[in-house]
Amino acid sequence: MANGSWRIGRPRGGAQLPLALLAALAIALILIGKAQSNLFDRARANLSDWASPALQVVRAPLAGLNRFMASIGDVFSVYQENLRLKEENARLRQWHNQAVVLDDRVKRYQLLLHAVPDPALSTVMAQVIGRSNRPFLQTMILDAGRAQGVKPGQAVVDARGMIGRIFVTGDHTSWVIQLTDLNSRIPVTIVPGNIQAIMVGDNSSLPTLDLLSQNVVLKAGMQVVTSGDGGLLPPGLAIGTVVANPGGGFRVVLLADPASSETVNIVDFKLRPEQPPAVSPNDLPAAAAGLPPAAPPAQQAAPAPAPVAPLATSKPPAPAPAQAGGDPGDE
Amino acid sequence: MERATSFVSLRILSNMIPVALAILGMLIANFPVSFLGGHVAPPLLALMPIYFWGMVRPDLMTPFWAFALGVFEDLLSGGPPGVWAASFLAAYYMIDSQRDVLAGLSGLGALTGFAVAALIACMSAYVIVCILFGMLLPVAPVLGELAMTVITYVFVVFVLGAIHRRLVGPLRSDF
Repeated sequence: MANGSWRIGRPRGGAQLPLALLAALAIALILIGKAQSNLFDRARANLSDWASPALQVVRAPLAGLNRFMASIGDVFSVYQENLRLKEENARLRQWHNQAVVLDDRVKRYQLLLHAVPDPALSTVMAQVIGRSNRPFLQTMILDAGRAQGVKPGQAVVDARGMIGRIFVTGDHTSWVIQLTDLNSRIPVTIVPGNIQAIMVGDNSSLPTLDLLSQNVVLKAGMQVVTSGDGGLLPPGLAIGTVVANPGGGFRVVLLADPASSETVNIVDFKLRPEQPPAVSPNDLPAAAAGLPPAAPPAQQAAPAPAPVAPLATSKPPAPAPAQAGGDPGDE
Repeated sequence: MERATSFVSLRILSNMIPVALAILGMLIANFPVSFLGGHVAPPLLALMPIYFWGMVRPDLMTPFWAFALGVFEDLLSGGPPGVWAASFLAAYYMIDSQRDVLAGLSGLGALTGFAVAALIACMSAYVIVCILFGMLLPVAPVLGELAMTVITYVFVVFVLGAIHRRLVGPLRSDF
């Protein structure tokens, strides 16, 4: 590790001017990046598209080595682990039976109430080919992009729960911002109680909760799911469990483990705009009561002589404009 | 003529080795594999070639390359642009201004020299990100990354030294 034998190829301090210029350029880059992040997102997507073949080639052997290293410690606890899994399996079978009964009951209730069915979700399966676990950010690169129908904003889940959401898409790769990242803010619902909150990442493994109402009481063990507010994420995606923070407040233990996830699903959620039912003359209160519909009121802003004749007619208001505007989906 | 062409191509190849190794380190640091279960940030592998060749052969690792590698790191890690570019330049400034001292160090002293450069890079990134986000971020993850970087350098420096002696120096034939 001795440095003394190296001969230096350039006198000391020869790079001061270029350093100063490049430092100014770096500061400009930071400011431009803050103001115009789209420029760098595009460059980032192109870079990940370019680097994805290399990342995919080395992913498999490294993942195998990683699994082997992780399994070394498991060898010593395999018997205890087996017992624990058998017990857990028996417990889960009981829960499974109960879930089937309850699911059947919910479906019958929905049928009776003519409830709107949950929106259908389609998913794109993708492999994690890059993962950045830096002190200031936690992102992942997936091997699915625009060509596979992936779009920014879509949720990324593994078998256990939500991991994050897409924030940049390239042609064949996409970037995921994890729920634990400093930039992550997700509207969530805490059940039971239907408590609305924002889950905020702070680069620790346990995101924090910003409650939208001060008059609620959280308890450890409550479940956190996506609320679907804003229409970007589907409602009801499992996220984690509420735990008390030793320093005060509450945090969320995530169900998913982004550090070990290799295969994930990108949830394609399209919230259909709510369609109000078409208005018909029979829906008017007067018509429902069996009375003739009232004439529309006189327009105050209009000059006096002109509108007198039309308003004097006893015809009901034409329903055509209301119908045309009320159901744009039919067009 | 043929010999001259060969000499030029070897020279270009030797010029590319430090930067190529830094890019390789960057790709390795962003692989989706963590032998520590993702609990500790991966080491700043790109900083090691910058420190090593910035100290012993600054003509091969110029400030421009430190800046370009920082931009590449910013893009590949998904962070705000310019953060690592500025941080690598800050570390390079230290290396450039203290080159005589750093080149004379050996053993634990050489490791301390690198640790100071890594500390400058990590703390510069930390300060910039704190300013960008307008909040004081936890220091522990940064210190974890710094510790991982310094520990990894103990092993990587032998590889870099061997590459320098066997490839970079002979290919240029002027070292």
